[in-house]
Amino acid sequence: MRAVVKGRIGIFYLQGFLDGNNAPSFLTIEDVKATEDLNVDMLLVSLKKVIFFNKNGLEVFVKLLSTIRNQKHIIVGFCDYDHAKFNAINTFFKDELNFSLFKTQEIAELFTSSNKGESRTVLLYNEDSSQRSAMAIELFDYGHNPIMAQSKHEFEEKKKASELYYAIIEDTNLGVYGQKVATRVTGNAIIYTISHFLDAEINDTFNLSYHLNSLNVGFRLFIFDAYKVISMNVHALNFFTKLASAAAEYNASICFVGLSFEKTPESFKNDLEDAGLMFFDNMDDILKNKELLEELGAGGGVTAKKSRSLNKALVNELPLFIEATVSTIAMMTNAAATKNSVNIQTLTIPNTQDQYASSIGFYGDIDGLIILVFPKSIAKKACELLIGDPDASEEEVLDSLAEFVNIIGGRAKVLLSSNKHVLDITLPRTYSDIKTLMEIAHDKKGVQVDLTFEGERFIFFLTR
Amino acid sequence: MSHFKNVLIYSDYNKHKNTGCIPTVITAEEIALYIEKIPPAPAVVQEALNHARAGDLTKASKSASEDPALRLYLKTLINRPIYGFRNEVSDVAQIFGILGLGASQQTLYNYLLSLLTPKKWELFSLTNHQFYDLQASISKHWEAILVHLKINDKEIQSAISLIPASIIVCEALFAKRKTEVAQLRCVKALDFNTILFRLSGSDLFDLSGEIARKWEMPERISKLIKSASGMDQTLTGQERVLAQWMHLLLFYELSQSAFVSAGLNEFIDFKIEFVQDIYESFAQVVQNT
Repeated sequence: MRAVVKGRIGIFYLQGFLDGNNAPSFLTIEDVKATEDLNVDMLLVSLKKVIFFNKNGLEVFVKLLSTIRNQKHIIVGFCDYDHAKFNAINTFFKDELNFSLFKTQEIAELFTSSNKGESRTVLLYNEDSSQRSAMAIELFDYGHNPIMAQSKHEFEEKKKASELYYAIIEDTNLGVYGQKVATRVTGNAIIYTISHFLDAEINDTFNLSYHLNSLNVGFRLFIFDAYKVISMNVHALNFFTKLASAAAEYNASICFVGLSFEKTPESFKNDLEDAGLMFFDNMDDILKNKELLEELGAGGGVTAKKSRSLNKALVNELPLFIEATVSTIAMMTNAAATKNSVNIQTLTIPNTQDQYASSIGFYGDIDGLIILVFPKSIAKKACELLIGDPDASEEEVLDSLAEFVNIIGGRAKVLLSSNKHVLDITLPRTYSDIKTLMEIAHDKKGVQVDLTFEGERFIFFLTR
Repeated sequence: MSHFKNVLIYSDYNKHKNTGCIPTVITAEEIALYIEKIPPAPAVVQEALNHARAGDLTKASKSASEDPALRLYLKTLINRPIYGFRNEVSDVAQIFGILGLGASQQTLYNYLLSLLTPKKWELFSLTNHQFYDLQASISKHWEAILVHLKINDKEIQSAISLIPASIIVCEALFAKRKTEVAQLRCVKALDFNTILFRLSGSDLFDLSGEIARKWEMPERISKLIKSASGMDQTLTGQERVLAQWMHLLLFYELSQSAFVSAGLNEFIDFKIEFVQDIYESFAQVVQNT
């Protein structure tokens, strides 16, 4: 069994009965390897469709989750359970709850980074006050607005007005929590929260692929919320210096906010400033200063100064990318595709009305960016298989479009691996209108393939 | 440099140009063709079934003895561990005598289904012997369930035999699309049954029902098989009860270690809310079987 990956979360969906006899059969050696290779911030096991489980059955997954957490410092645990299942798990693992428990996937998602940047108001209660506080701090670090009930009575009272909250968090326990750097998006800036002592471990806890993806998809301002940092050593200094070099390639800015130099050598500040990092005392000094925001690159889809050209390695693999795209769309729409033309040019979209677009980056032996432009009707049809509802909302279609592009990225990765190219894919991004896409892609030269699906034009664009 | 790139692209493009249209996933025509290709029930089996339906076990076993493949199947089945015989049982009349009328009829259906099993399983990591074990185990548990439900009906007893047909249909339709489906399932927890339904409007159980119809089984059987998917919310009375028990039994069997390893646990969506209220009784029945 393989975990299903959505955004930065991998989830195992178990079904039926789970005990010590059958649980090992869910995970082959290849499955374990594939799970270890996943690029996620959170790995969960959904118990929604498990009608029976015992401790031995759960332990097989707990063992895998613990291994992954120790290797990758990510959040691991179980989700999608009712109160009875929550109690059963707590009874089984009373003194050794070294994983997290999230009542639903929606609650789990609040504890991970996303590119959506939505701040959610949530009601929160846990009998254990330290758990309550830990959850509130984490939620706050991810940019949410947690309302913490101090007593069961207060919680029950507040719960009555459920419409005020995006989620009501109960029967949830962070357990031993992953140590990834929290990430949130504010406007066009990405904020990372760092704390305590910064040392070589920052290489493991900072999600570099998320950061690179954010650069690839157009983010240009990155802020490290460092109020809670006590000090850093030379390994952390090196890490931030390298990050600054990567940012320079994209003309991006990296700032530190609230970093105290009481216990960190002042010379580090000079080194970091020399590398191009900036320091501010308060977050509002940046976020409430529109001119500064513009200057730092958070004003919109500012493109990289150093535009990169297509190379032979990428062009050689073009047929594989097209095949991955076309066969995926054919599979999802159950309709045949016809290729019309292939040209090297900047992205040209004759009709910008009623179109969605999406993009996904890839890096490794070769790197680049796939951009797809769909008529809304084709996008909806392609996503119908994933959603199962022809009348899905635009938000649902865009969400599914991201999954859809993820499939294409995954297919391309598999096809290219047969040519001995090892590569990884970034998080997909979707665009509800073409204007936002063009802000990022208007000057990029690439290969444009025009395709037709059921008489409608569909554009595939491969660039770097 | 730009010219060079263009040449390269067009040369690669032309290699793929011949394919022109990319084949689609599963078309209605392909499904129709699959059903059409299913062979009719062999005359000997039909004859044995008719005798069994008429309650004449002696004539049924006599007809069954005429088919060497059926004889071998019956012998293999009755000597599977789940039946627990210490000494080999090989005589058809003896086998039918042990099984009784209802189970003999059920076994004849099981045999018909075994004719559709692929020579080599590709989508699921299964052997035909494991498939026969699944059939035998489902049949035995179903018998106990019907006793618990106080239902004495040969057709209902036999209907369960066709439930594993959904696995065979799934194997036949998806084996060639294994990679594509695996990619799809990396980003969305979709089961084969839902994928097929969303693509074609028919699900695996509808197609199993079609097989039952092709083999001229009573309409009730075809209907019962369809209900086992747990997707029909309009069922009431005994039909709903039977659908619930069939659905849960199927998941109980597919949660056995060998079938989890084979990938069968993920092939349809488990409707937990559909069976929640019978779980306690179910656990007692299967524990005592």
